[in-house]
Amino acid sequence: MTAAKLSLSAVNRSFGPVQILFDVSIDLLPGEVHALIGENGAGKSTTMKIMSGYLAPSSGEVRLDGKAMVFGGSQAAESRGVVLIHQEFNLADQLTVEQNVFLGRELRRGLFLDKHAMRAQTVALLDRLHCRVDPDARVRDISNSDKQMVEIAKALGRDAQVLIMDEPTAVLTNREAEVLFEQVDRLRKEGVAILFTSHKLDEVKRISDRVTVMRDGRVVQSGPTSAMTEDAMANAMVGREMSDLFPKRVSALGQDIALRVRGLTVPRYADDVSFDLRRGEILGIAGLVGSGRTETMEGLVALRRHTGQVEIEGRPVTIRSPRDAQMQGLVYLTEDRKGRGLVLNMGMRENLTLQSLGQFAKPFLDRKAEETALDKAVRDFDIRAPSRAVRVRNLSGGNQQKLLIAKIMQTGPRIVIIDEPTRGIDIGTKQQIYDFIHRLSAQGVSVIVISSELPEVIGLADRVLVMRQGRITGGVEGPQKTEDAIVRLAMGLEARTKGEAA
Amino acid sequence: MKHLALMATTALTLSAAPLWAQEAEETQVIGISIPAATHGWAGGMNYFAQAAVERLEEVYPQLDFVLATASDPSKQVSDIEDMVATRGIDALVVLPFESEPLTGPVKAVADQGVWITVVDRGLSEPGIEDLYVAGDNPGFGRVSGEYMVSALPEGGKVVALRGIPTTIDNERVAGFEEAIAGSGIEVLGMEHGNWNRDDAFTVMQDFLSKHSQIDAVWASDDDMAVGVLAAIEAAGRSDVKFVLGGAGMKEMIARTRDSDPMVPANVTYPPSMIASAIEITALGLVSDAPVAGRFIIGSELVTPENAEQYYFPDSPF
Amino acid sequence: MTTQVTRPGQPAGPGHGINLHVLGPIVALLVLIVAGALMNPNFLSYANITNVLARSAFIGIIAVGMTFVITAGGLDLSVGSMAAFIAGLMILVMNLLVPSMGAGISVILVGMAVALGAGLLAGFLNGFLITNMRIEAFIVTLGTMGIYRSLVTWLADGGTLSLDFGLREAYGPVYYGGLLGVSWPIIVFLVVAILGEIGMRKTAFGRYCAAIGSNDQVARYSSVDVNRIRLLTYVGLGLLVGIATIMYVPRLGSASSSTGVLWELEAIAAVIIGGTMLKGGFGRVWGTVVGVLILGLIDNLLNLTDWVSPYLNGAIQGVIIVLAVILQRENRPEG
Repeated sequence: MTAAKLSLSAVNRSFGPVQILFDVSIDLLPGEVHALIGENGAGKSTTMKIMSGYLAPSSGEVRLDGKAMVFGGSQAAESRGVVLIHQEFNLADQLTVEQNVFLGRELRRGLFLDKHAMRAQTVALLDRLHCRVDPDARVRDISNSDKQMVEIAKALGRDAQVLIMDEPTAVLTNREAEVLFEQVDRLRKEGVAILFTSHKLDEVKRISDRVTVMRDGRVVQSGPTSAMTEDAMANAMVGREMSDLFPKRVSALGQDIALRVRGLTVPRYADDVSFDLRRGEILGIAGLVGSGRTETMEGLVALRRHTGQVEIEGRPVTIRSPRDAQMQGLVYLTEDRKGRGLVLNMGMRENLTLQSLGQFAKPFLDRKAEETALDKAVRDFDIRAPSRAVRVRNLSGGNQQKLLIAKIMQTGPRIVIIDEPTRGIDIGTKQQIYDFIHRLSAQGVSVIVISSELPEVIGLADRVLVMRQGRITGGVEGPQKTEDAIVRLAMGLEARTKGEAA
Repeated sequence: MKHLALMATTALTLSAAPLWAQEAEETQVIGISIPAATHGWAGGMNYFAQAAVERLEEVYPQLDFVLATASDPSKQVSDIEDMVATRGIDALVVLPFESEPLTGPVKAVADQGVWITVVDRGLSEPGIEDLYVAGDNPGFGRVSGEYMVSALPEGGKVVALRGIPTTIDNERVAGFEEAIAGSGIEVLGMEHGNWNRDDAFTVMQDFLSKHSQIDAVWASDDDMAVGVLAAIEAAGRSDVKFVLGGAGMKEMIARTRDSDPMVPANVTYPPSMIASAIEITALGLVSDAPVAGRFIIGSELVTPENAEQYYFPDSPF
Repeated sequence: MTTQVTRPGQPAGPGHGINLHVLGPIVALLVLIVAGALMNPNFLSYANITNVLARSAFIGIIAVGMTFVITAGGLDLSVGSMAAFIAGLMILVMNLLVPSMGAGISVILVGMAVALGAGLLAGFLNGFLITNMRIEAFIVTLGTMGIYRSLVTWLADGGTLSLDFGLREAYGPVYYGGLLGVSWPIIVFLVVAILGEIGMRKTAFGRYCAAIGSNDQVARYSSVDVNRIRLLTYVGLGLLVGIATIMYVPRLGSASSSTGVLWELEAIAAVIIGGTMLKGGFGRVWGTVVGVLILGLIDNLLNLTDWVSPYLNGAIQGVIIVLAVILQRENRPEG
């Protein structure tokens, strides 16, 4: 057996009185792709940070080529070929792609920067990744997937021996993910040791050689990928049997129309969108990224300028602001949890009541009522926080998402639009959110779910509308609700299925 | 123009250099660059400058005037550069915001053959200007100090408010201290009131808290005197016999004239010196009169007896 | 089950740093008071305390309004000039009315109404340009700062506007008088501060300001009318500038182009010393009050003692401001 390139040996790590990692041992072998999986908060991030020198272990050892190492920091680790690629990119937004690739190790010729050499190397690195981004583009102007590629190019440029990637595919489209996997394959053949995390188990199954499952700060299982099924991985992560992920509809759908939209147009994004939503219905909206799904719904609640007719429960309504929409019982839950959903530096209470603050101002804010509402939300939505006073920034993604849903529900809506309800959260929380959406539906609340994950829309929704280039290209329901049908509509291949779309 | 008359008889040094060999018919331009009206004295100075320009434009149709006010030295330098570049001025009357930063730029203008009149604040390098018109800062302090000596008994306790820390302020204070040296007058404290009413009010309140017996206040400026008087009145202190301001603000001159015991005197530092400077410069441009040299306008003691002749009802100051 | 734990790289729970964050400004204030009492026995006298509080009141009243503006992610550089302009306008209007209405209460009430109206209008103008025209607050208020400063110079013809002497008698008590031995400016400052503290902590408005300052996108997506709240912060600040001016004019009965110079920076400094974040998202009015008192006391102390050259007053102030802010910085090892 090959010797480990980088290994953790019986590592513990605490923050203050809270212990995060317990006796974690992991070996990364050269030429092997190692997947690290676990629910949010299981300790994956801390483990990766210790491997890459961002954090020191409280006890235990980090060994590089068999020798115990104390990395003084991430730079020391990088200089020894251990590179961590963050999920939230570590790029200088104002600099160009090329400047980022060479940031901190600029090539020089005498006193001056050797732009020619840096350009050539950048182009070569990007070519290797099949990435067509302009080396002169500013990073703030390029897409998330390109940023990911730039991060990888940056790591490759540093001659990474150990490449640690935190959810590298979370922001990538399937095609981009394919390119990434090709690169991973190539690096594996070159003998690089690779560790990555992912919530997408099919991905893990496909490209990793070895899987380590963490739960509650401990390694609960580790072994060759070939010996584990996806189900087994999920079970190990959650620590319980996964029942069927998507609940079954129990009550029959009524025929009352809760929301009728006609000719909704959002300049540049949506063109003449019309659809009906029944009371208690779960309506999925599918389509490629950039098809205008989010913008259409933002237009509907007046977060964007829009034209068109809207009827709610049979009454024509004029929606001039998100507040108008909210008064009519229509709310939109953003896909951008951290940028638009929650005030990260505030506590849970302030976030929970922000959207419905009028209820708590009589005229002075009733702190007690707010606390009561938080108690209820924590119970109803199973929000797990280290303390009540914690800033929302320090909650895991899944708990942030639950808080965000609780915040929206605080307004007592009749129609809820949820954009990417489970992006970047673990399987256990996903299931809770699916259950919750079904409970809403059973209570007669109508739900629109926008999702890029096809199994999710198919499993969750009664009916799926597909958007392409700002228009609804068709709808599927019942047995026609297949990935194939949706993808065809999304790609504009054919519009053979007719939904209620005009 | 009382002051012009006064000056013409004081320190006129004849200039041997011939004046411009100009054709009198051609329009000539006089540029005037002064600090903006950021406090009372500067406000008065602005007023006198504008009044002089209006009057002289009527008297001398062959002259054009360009007046610019600046709120900081670098703006003043830009103003002067603009005047030279766009108006082709023949003479420059400048009251420098600060001496150092203006010396170089004004010298550059002088080197192009433009007549230079410097007012009040001298440049750092001697000999650049053709004409220098200024108040007498050490004299201002000396006259103030001499008045204190005459008005207070030996051992009288005085507090003093200083202006914005500048050469002017230092010269005044030095003159004051020289004048009271050996007289037995005790200066309890000196703080900067920055020629500002509000600052002076604050400083005086604190002087009153700190010292239980103050016989007189040298406010050294009438704006500051306004703040000082308000603070004394608010504190209800009767130990302070009088406040000596300075520069001759019309309201203060009026109080002296009307024998207000709190304002028994004043010391002049006339903002109208700018008008004198402009007038002499204009005279030099249109005639062959020899006007180069130094004109120092002395600081006079204003008392109830002579106050009327220092009262200018139309001036904002 | 999954135990939820804090994310790595963040302090786990509130540590000792948080307390200092809360107490920093108070500690600084106490140190100043003790130092003052030791240096000069008159420091704690009734007269001196009244002096310091009363003359801090203008900046204080304005700083309370500034706390809301900054908390909501804005800034207003125009308040000093605005105060000068309103003072000038007020004096001009009152002087004009004296011949017809006599030098009595009615003229003063009209003057006060003018001050409040002008403050509201000026605040609205700033707010409107910032929210509806979407111009950077720094630029808008830098512009109006220059405009008001010029206007007051123009109104005063480069000199000083002085209140009619007859009116001074009637109006003087608004600064120099008081209730039960507490002078009016102090009372008004106190009332404004209490209302401000309640507004910040206990009303939806205060919560919205903090949310907008933290992330205006989140506020917008939470159905908060971001523009309206922002506009209101500027209008409120303008109104408070009007109130401060009403208290200021009777003190010296004059306004000139040097009135209110640098008040904006003093107000902003007081707000920041008090623990409000300059980039917005968190504000506390009581901290601002402490900040105002710290600034006022530094001045007072430097005048009462001869320990440092008066040339160094500014340096001492600067050092204390920076120290006060360092004291209350949050303890974040990994930024």
